[in-house]
Amino acid sequence: MDSRRADRIATTVFWAVGLITLGILLFIILEIFGRGLITALSPSFFAGKPEAREAGGGIWPMIASSVYLAVLTMLISLPIAVGAAIYLAEFSREGRLNRFIRFCLDSLSTLPSIVFGIFGMTIFVIKFRWSYCLLAGACTLALLTLPILLRSTEESLRQVPLTYREASMSLGASRWTTVRKVVMPTAMPGIISGTILPVGRIMGEAAAIIYTTGLFVRTIPKSPFDPAAPLAGYIWYAQTEAMVPDYRRIVNGGAAMLLILVFLINFAARRLAKYYSKRKSLGG
Amino acid sequence: MSDNVDSYKMRVENLSMYYENFKALEDISLDFHREHITALIGPSGCGKSTLIRCLNRMNDIIEGSRVEGGITLDGVNIYDPGYDVISLRRRVGMVFQRPNPFPKSIYENVAYGPRLAGIKDREKLDSIVEESLKKAALWDEVKKNLRESGQRLSGGQQQRLCIARVIAVQPEVILFDEPCSAIDPISTQKIEDLMAELKKNYTIVIVTHNMQQAARVSDYTAFMLVQEQGEAGRIVEFGDTDTIFTKPSDKRTENYITGRFG
Repeated sequence: MDSRRADRIATTVFWAVGLITLGILLFIILEIFGRGLITALSPSFFAGKPEAREAGGGIWPMIASSVYLAVLTMLISLPIAVGAAIYLAEFSREGRLNRFIRFCLDSLSTLPSIVFGIFGMTIFVIKFRWSYCLLAGACTLALLTLPILLRSTEESLRQVPLTYREASMSLGASRWTTVRKVVMPTAMPGIISGTILPVGRIMGEAAAIIYTTGLFVRTIPKSPFDPAAPLAGYIWYAQTEAMVPDYRRIVNGGAAMLLILVFLINFAARRLAKYYSKRKSLGG
Repeated sequence: MSDNVDSYKMRVENLSMYYENFKALEDISLDFHREHITALIGPSGCGKSTLIRCLNRMNDIIEGSRVEGGITLDGVNIYDPGYDVISLRRRVGMVFQRPNPFPKSIYENVAYGPRLAGIKDREKLDSIVEESLKKAALWDEVKKNLRESGQRLSGGQQQRLCIARVIAVQPEVILFDEPCSAIDPISTQKIEDLMAELKKNYTIVIVTHNMQQAARVSDYTAFMLVQEQGEAGRIVEFGDTDTIFTKPSDKRTENYITGRFG
């Protein structure tokens, strides 16, 4: 077989595989939107309060719970992840401690989320006597997202060219000053884009929050110690436990809403990352 | 060549340098004259960049690097335990092989060093930035767009920006590590002219691949060589540039500068 033909076949195969991926994604999106978009976009649904027994309940407190949960989780997880990533990428020397930390992170990232859920319940809900609340869920999810967030942050830091660090240090900056003034600002867009995946994970997580935040609330949580009902958990609850007659509508509409939320967050994070890199090239 | 010790800004004394167990430099002794240009030449891998990076202790960044022997700056050994590396790097500035401006504005690139030194006063910073860019022969080209990114400049302009960034710290010695290897001939010319101007006030060390460049710009030249593959780099010959290029005393120097190897 001549190489030109091989090339053409390879191109076709890769093109087809790419198309299949796109097809699967489109199918899922269309399927979910097809079932739930009309419900999701009706104000009485997304802005309304849920009902315990009657039909016609909304999901507003659930949307708020999800958003609060994501924000609170990031507030806990991001500083730890960034700090640890700075240590691993900028200060640590390859050695036993370093390898041990990486081993722990890898183990952490392969744990099933239900294990995190049970752990979170045992520690935060029961031992700390927080009961079911936003903070218990956020702490649990912070543990769950830490490895992903740390990896992506570390990757962003490592992508900052060594020559920037050299330049900074050759001008009399210490390692820490170099990290603060040159490495971090340069890595910022990457760090922000790196939060997209974990935030998506938080939004979609049900197993880890079932036993930590709660599953049903009628009002928006007002403090981190209030019970909450993130959307993904509520969808699971509506499908399996709820006593409302129109649970199918809630599940379909909730799924569509969840997808919209994730898209919005994705979009916002990209805009933010772009804004940062633009400001950087303008010389902030 | 004056033998007055005071005419030496920096002296390298019996320096050997290791990366882990690999010996990169062996028994280097070399003097750098005040307000003169010294060139380090030699084939790739002869240790000339390693040597120049010992002069501001940039090799400290690399894990497992260590030195034996010493280097003095105005008579004080910079490898003494407790020697302040930060102040050393302020006094001994460095321009790198590839232009490496920060992803910041032209202004912020130049103001970086002075800001590190704690200068916050806007007017003072403005005047340092202007002064440094003028000394680096870049002011006229960039004075209208100081707020633009330093990375939008051409390669040659970026390198002059890096020179301005070094000048802004007011060093005493400037190290150039193959400063022209990544830029075009016209920019190279500008940078060579600039070096001739700078040596009035600074002690300059330049590593270069380009023998013509060494001959054009330097007052003193050291020729370095790795004798056998895997051995450490050594100085073969060191003297004033005219002598090295017209009547070298070592056969290997002659072979190198006449282009028989390297």
